Amino acid sequence: MITATAETPPVVRHRAANVVVVAGRWLLGAVFIYMGLNKALHPVEFLKLVRQYNVTDHYLLLNLVASALPWFEIFCGLLLVLGIAVRGTALLLVAMLVPFTIVIVQRALGIQHARGIPFCAIKFDCGCGAGEVLICRKLLENTLLIAVAASLVFWRQHIAAVRPCLFRAHAA
Amino acid sequence: MRTLKAVVLEAIILAIAGLLFALAANALSPRGLRLARNYFPAAPVMHTNTAASAHAPDSLAERLQQWGLQLATSNEVSQLFRDPGYEQGLIVFVDARNDHAYQSGHVPGAWQLDRYRPEGYLPTVLPMCLSAQKVVVYCNGGACEDSELAAVMLRDAGIPAGNILVYSGGISEWTNGLPFEIGARGSGQIIEPKR
Repeated sequence: MITATAETPPVVRHRAANVVVVAGRWLLGAVFIYMGLNKALHPVEFLKLVRQYNVTDHYLLLNLVASALPWFEIFCGLLLVLGIAVRGTALLLVAMLVPFTIVIVQRALGIQHARGIPFCAIKFDCGCGAGEVLICRKLLENTLLIAVAASLVFWRQHIAAVRPCLFRAHAA
Repeated sequence: MRTLKAVVLEAIILAIAGLLFALAANALSPRGLRLARNYFPAAPVMHTNTAASAHAPDSLAERLQQWGLQLATSNEVSQLFRDPGYEQGLIVFVDARNDHAYQSGHVPGAWQLDRYRPEGYLPTVLPMCLSAQKVVVYCNGGACEDSELAAVMLRDAGIPAGNILVYSGGISEWTNGLPFEIGARGSGQIIEPKR
């Protein structure tokens, strides 16, 4: 087992960090593939859940979100697992996760206002692909996912990757 | 700075590629949604006599009234189920839920109409409904809208609105005191309610 101490050589520390980043990348990719598949296999149920957010009334937009988002998540998950365009994919995930989390919080606040129950006692199916979850647990999960995705954006050297970046400019 | 720009550019390219992939996957998937179909048509705007203003109906009864449809109570559907006309096909029950829900338990003899994929069901269900005097449409009950929207679909397909009843209690209320059938229609696997 490798432990990073003051005496640990920088090369070993860097290698250990690389292993952690790869594990995080695979975990994030697997989560997105799993969540995406759950939704892609039940698109009607996902469509109903998306509609409950009242973000849009326009059926074309609603259908576009419900039909494309699950497969888009699978696409991003596959790229991360394979290690293709890692930083760009991670940036996309951050750009998706942050607004999703805000929308989930808004919906939870609406439920709290309507039912008058403690915030962390609110449980609903947010359409995230894992069924009904407690809101505080969901927020913790999303925060963790955002942190992992953000760290992938800033990590420059990705190992065990088919093609870590599309352009050479950010490979170095 | 140059690196950051390259990452953003990479993300934009991936977003476009991902969207194309997603749309293609949805189009090829047998469970995919139809982008151009309005799955949730809104009830017509209600014009009241007392006020000049118009408003969208809130309650199920109001919405059904606007569609020209009627709400059915638990007692009414129970009587229709026991009516000799049910055996003769003069009364038809339509289950507006998906395959899994239907197979898990439905009103004995009810026809399935998954309104999100009507192509596979309407050719069978429509002739039955056209020859019936009363058509009872139900879904899960509670906040479920599928019965209401399936009823609208039947009305638009040519069933007289006056013949269509929407049972808002749905299967959750039905299974509390009435027999239900599991598996396919006519499977004979009837579950009697617990007394």
